[in-house]
Amino acid sequence: MIHGHQEEALTKTYDVVLLRRLWRYIRPYRAHFILALVCLPLTSACILAQPYLLKLGIDGYIGEGDAEGLTRIGLFFAVALLGEFLFFYIQFQATMLVAQHSLADLRRDLFAHLQELPSSFFERNPVGRLVTRLTTDVDAINEAFSAGTLTIFMDILTLSGIVVIMLSIDFHLALVTLALLPPLLIALNFFRVRTRVTYRAIRERLARINAFLQETLSGIMVVQLFAQEPKLFAEFEQRNGDYRAANHLSNIYEASLFSIVEAISAISIALMLWYGAGQVGQGLVALGTLVAFIEYMQKFFVPIREFATKYTTMQSAMTAIERVFQLLDTPVTITSPEQPHRPQQVTGRIVFEHVWFAYKEEDWVLRDVSFSVAPGENIAIVGATGAGKTTISKVLNRFHDIQRGRILVDGVDIRQWHVKVLRSRIGVVLQDVFLFVGDVATNISLGRTDLSQADLARAARHVNAERFIQQLPDGYGERLHERGSNLSAGQRQLLSFARALAYDPAILILDEATSSVDPETEVLIQDALTKLMRDRTTLVIAHRFSTIQNADRILVMHKGKLREVGTHQELIEQRGIYWRLYQLQYVHLQDADMQDAHKIGVSDIRRREPALEKA
Amino acid sequence: MSIPWLLKHAVEGIEHGRPLSEIARTILLIIGIAAVQCVVRAFSRFLIFNVGRDIEYQLRNELFAHLQTLSLSYYQRQPVGDLMSRLVNDITAVRLLLGLGIINILNTPLYYVYAMSVMLAMDPWLTVLALAPYPFMLMLVKKMSRQLMERTLNVQAGLADLSSRVQESVSGIHVIRAYVREAWQNGEFAALNSRFKAENIALARIRSLFPPLMKGVSGTGLLVVLWYGGTKVIAGELSLGDLVAFMGYLHLLAWPTMAMGWLISIFQRGRAAMQRLDAIWQTQPEIVDGQGDGIDRTIRGEIGFHHVDFSYPVNGTGQFDQSNQSRQRTAKPVLRDINFTVPAGKTVAIVGRMGSGKTTLVNLLPRLFDVTNGSITIDGQDIREFSLAALRSWIGFVPQDPFLFSTRIQDNIAFALPEVDADGVRWAAGLASVDREIEDFAKGYETVIGERGMTLSGGQKQRLTLSRALLADTPIVVLDDALSSVDTKTERDILGALHALRSSTKAKTVLVISHRVSAVRDADLIVVLDDGRVAEMGSHDSLVARGGVYTELFQQQALEEELAEL
Repeated sequence: MIHGHQEEALTKTYDVVLLRRLWRYIRPYRAHFILALVCLPLTSACILAQPYLLKLGIDGYIGEGDAEGLTRIGLFFAVALLGEFLFFYIQFQATMLVAQHSLADLRRDLFAHLQELPSSFFERNPVGRLVTRLTTDVDAINEAFSAGTLTIFMDILTLSGIVVIMLSIDFHLALVTLALLPPLLIALNFFRVRTRVTYRAIRERLARINAFLQETLSGIMVVQLFAQEPKLFAEFEQRNGDYRAANHLSNIYEASLFSIVEAISAISIALMLWYGAGQVGQGLVALGTLVAFIEYMQKFFVPIREFATKYTTMQSAMTAIERVFQLLDTPVTITSPEQPHRPQQVTGRIVFEHVWFAYKEEDWVLRDVSFSVAPGENIAIVGATGAGKTTISKVLNRFHDIQRGRILVDGVDIRQWHVKVLRSRIGVVLQDVFLFVGDVATNISLGRTDLSQADLARAARHVNAERFIQQLPDGYGERLHERGSNLSAGQRQLLSFARALAYDPAILILDEATSSVDPETEVLIQDALTKLMRDRTTLVIAHRFSTIQNADRILVMHKGKLREVGTHQELIEQRGIYWRLYQLQYVHLQDADMQDAHKIGVSDIRRREPALEKA
Repeated sequence: MSIPWLLKHAVEGIEHGRPLSEIARTILLIIGIAAVQCVVRAFSRFLIFNVGRDIEYQLRNELFAHLQTLSLSYYQRQPVGDLMSRLVNDITAVRLLLGLGIINILNTPLYYVYAMSVMLAMDPWLTVLALAPYPFMLMLVKKMSRQLMERTLNVQAGLADLSSRVQESVSGIHVIRAYVREAWQNGEFAALNSRFKAENIALARIRSLFPPLMKGVSGTGLLVVLWYGGTKVIAGELSLGDLVAFMGYLHLLAWPTMAMGWLISIFQRGRAAMQRLDAIWQTQPEIVDGQGDGIDRTIRGEIGFHHVDFSYPVNGTGQFDQSNQSRQRTAKPVLRDINFTVPAGKTVAIVGRMGSGKTTLVNLLPRLFDVTNGSITIDGQDIREFSLAALRSWIGFVPQDPFLFSTRIQDNIAFALPEVDADGVRWAAGLASVDREIEDFAKGYETVIGERGMTLSGGQKQRLTLSRALLADTPIVVLDDALSSVDTKTERDILGALHALRSSTKAKTVLVISHRVSAVRDADLIVVLDDGRVAEMGSHDSLVARGGVYTELFQQQALEEELAEL
C-alpha cells in the first residue's frame, strides 16, 4: 500500500558520454592511470609470448632433441611468466588507486550537491532512494574497478594479438579454428544488449526496497502500536519478490552465455584438430604448431569466460553511473544572483509585496499577501491551521521561491541576496525539532568552530536549558541518539531554542515551537524570548494567545489571505476574525475556578524562579 | 571432462599418424559432448543462480520480519541507515557467496581430482613437480584470508556508516539549510569518505594479489612440464602426445584455480556479511509476546498500574553490539512506584514537568517497553499475559511524534483496519475535526502525503494521527500530547466528542497527556508526575484545593490566560 515515488524515466545516454564525464574525475590521477595503461600491453605481450615459446620448444628443441636449447626456452618462458605477474600486479594496483581516489571525489561532490538541491526535490524523492544513490550505486562503480574491469582493454589487446599471431603462423589453420568466432560475437552482443535493460530494472527495484525500508524502520513505533507488522511484511515481501523476479531474467542470460562460450571453446579446438590432423599427416604443419594453437585457444577463451561476469559488473556500474550523474545534473533552483547582495549589517526590515505562492501548480497557499515589518518589531502570525503561516517562514528563507510578488529584506529583494547570507541572518525554530546524532554541544553549535563552550553555555542558560543539560550524565558531551530520541519532547524544544539563540540572527522565526512544552517551562522560555526579541525582528507563528498578546502587531491569516493587521486591542475592537477566534478560545474563562488564580500575583512567579535573570 | 581425454586421444592419433577417419570420429565425439555439456551446464548454472536468489529473498524476508519484532530501545540505538545497509548490501554479499561460490566449490575439487588422477597415471614424477606450486599457494592464501576477512568487515562497516550519515543529512536537510551548515555536513561526510576510501584501498591491496598469484601458479606448472617433461621426451621416456595431453590437463586446472582466487574474496565478503547479519539475528526482541490470546475478548477497559518501576535498557554507549543478553539498565530509574487505577470508561490525565516520565508511562501500556518491576493490568489481568496483537488491538494510541506514511490520507487513517470503508474513514476524520479540511484538498482523501507528512501543517498531522487511532474504535485511547499544535477551540471540539461517548456504551478509557489545563480539568482523575513519581492524584478541584505541584504547574497558565483577558 505504500506507493513511494515512482522512479523517473531515465533518458538513454550513450556510454561514451557518461565515460567522458567520469573521466573528469579520473583526470587528477592520470599519472597512475597512464601507468596502468602502459602495463596493459606489456602484460598482454607476456601472455602472448608463452604459447609461441611453447611452439618453439616443442618443434625446435624437443623435436630436435636439443636439451640445452630447451633450457633456454624454459628460461624465456619463466621470464614471460614473471613479466605477466609483475605487470598485471602493477596495473591492478594503479587502477585500484585511481578508482578509489576518483570515486571518493565523486561521492564528495554528490553529497555537496545534494545539500544544495531545492526543498521540492526532497519532497519528491524518498530518503531511501538518495541513500542508495550515494552508497550502493557508487559502490557498484567501485566494484567494477576492483573486479579488474579495466582489464577488459587488456583482454581486447590480447585477443586481437592472438588472432593476428595465429593467422601469421598458419593462415588456413587459423581460419578453421576461428570459424566459430562470428557466432560467438553475435551471442556476446545479444547478451550485452539484453542485460542493459534488465539491469536497469534490477536497480530500480532495489531502490524501491531501500525506500520502503527507510520509511518502515523509521516509523516502526507506529507499525508496532497498530499491530500492522503482517501487512507491512506482505508489502515488503512483494517488493522483495519483484526484485527477485527482475533477476531471474538476467540469470537466464548469464547462465546461457557461459555455457555457449564453453561449447564454442571445445568445438573450436575440435575443429582445429580435425583440420590440423590432416595437415600434420601431410607434413604441412608441425606438431608444435598444433600445441601452440591449443594454448592460444585456451588463452583466448579465458577472458571470454570472464566476459560475462565482467560485463554484468560493468553494466551495473554503467547504470549506476547514469543515475549518479542524473542526480548531479538535478538543477539547483534556488541560487544567488551574479552580483549578490551581501550587507555587513542587517536591520531586519521585512516587506511582503503582493506575494502569491503555491507548492503545486495553482493550489495557492498564499494569496496576495502584503505587509511590512519594521526592524526589531515583534509580529505574531495567527490563523487556523493550514492558513499559510508556516509557508510565510519558508518563503522568507527562500526554501521555495514565490511565484508572484516580492519579498524584501532591508529593502532588497531576497532573490538579490546571496542565499547563504540571507539565511545566516534568519534564525528558525521549527515545529519538528531535528537533532543530530552527536553530543549536545554540537547540536547547539551545529559544528560551528567560532562558538566557544562559554557561548554555548550562555545560549543554553538563556533558554533555561542548562539545568537539564547539566543533569545529563555527560552534560554537554552527552551523545544523542538518532533524532534525539533519548530526550523528552520538551528538552528537545529547549535545545532547538539554544541552537537558534547561539546563531544570533537578525530575524527570528518561531514556528509553533512553544506549544508542546509544559506551562512552567513555557514561562521560562517566554522570559528568555522576551530578552531575545528585544532588538530583533521576530515572527512568531503560534496558536496560543498568551504568546501572541505581547506582540507589537498581529497578522491574521485566513485561507492564504492576510485579513487583519493590528495590535491585540485594535483587533478586538474590530470585532472581526481575530475577535471571533479570541472569543472561542476563552469562553471557558468565565469559569469561577479561575478566580483562584487571582490570588497569586506575577511577582510571585519571578520570586520562585531565581534562574530568571533580571530583564 | 571427457573432452581433454578425447583431445589427448586425438593428438596422439595425429602424432602417430593414425588414419583420418579415426581421428574424425574422435572429433565428432568431442563436438557432441560439448553440445550436450552446454545445455546441461546452462541449466545447472541457472538453477544454482536461482537458488542463490531464492535464498537471498528468503533471508531478506526473514530478517525484516525479525526486525519488526524488535523493541523501540533497539531502534533508538541502531541507526536506520545501518540497518538498510545490512538488509541490502550485506545480503547481496551472502548471495554472491552462495551462487557463484557453490558452483565453484562443486566444480573445482572434481576437476582437481580427475585431472590429478589421470596425470598421476601418466607420469607420477612429472605430476608431482607440476603440481608442486599449488600447496605453497594454498598456504599463502590461508594466511592472507584472515587479513582479507578483517578488511572486508571494515569496508562493509564503512559503507554502513556512510549510509547512516547520508540518511541523517537528508532527513535533517531543512535544519542544515536554515542554519547554513552545509559546510559542516560536508566536513563530516568528508571524514567518513576518506576513511572509507582508505579501507577500500587496504582491501584491494590484498584482493589484487589473488588473480596474478593464481595465474602464476598454473603458469609455473606449465613451465615445469615444458622443461622437465620436454627433457624426458628428448630422452625418450615420454611420448610427445602424452606431453601435450599433460599440458591439456594442466589447462583444465588453470581456470578453476583462477576462479578459486576470486572465490576466496567472495567467500570472505560473504562471511563478513553473515557476521553482520548474524548480529541482527542474535538480538532478541525485548518484548516477548504473551502466551494468551484474548483477541476475541471484549474488555471493559479498566487499567491498573501496580507499583511500577521502570528504567531504560541500555547496552554500552549507544553502539550496536552483538550480544543482547546482558540487559543492563541505566542507573537512574525513569519511573518509580507508579500506583493508580483507572476504572473503565473514565478519563485520566497525566501531567507533569518536562522529563517527568509521562510519555514513558503511557508507552508501557501497549508494551512498547516492559516494566522493570511491578505490573500493569487491564481488567485485572497482567498485560504480559495477553498476546501483543490482542493487547494492541484494544489501544488506540496517538504518539507524540505524528508520524505518517507517504501514502494517501485514506491509507494513513485506515492504517489499523485496511478493510474499513470510506464512511468509517470519514467518521474517524470527523471525530478528529479534520474532515472538512481534507475535503478542501484538491484530491481529498486520495491526496498522497509527502514523506513523513511533509506538506501538511503540524495541526493537520496531529489530527490525522488522531483519526488513525480513533478509527478502530478501541476501548482504550492514549493521547500523548496529541493536540499541542491544535488551537484551543478545535481541541475542545475533539475532547468534547470523546467526552460525549462517555455516557454511551462506547465509553472509552482515555489516558491523556497534555500541558493545557483546558484539556485536563475535566478528567475524572489527574495523575501528577514529578521526577518519575506520582506526586499528587485527584480531580482538578481537589488538586487545586491542595495547592501543591498541580497548582504550581497550572497557575502560570491560568495567569497568562487571565492576563490575556485584560
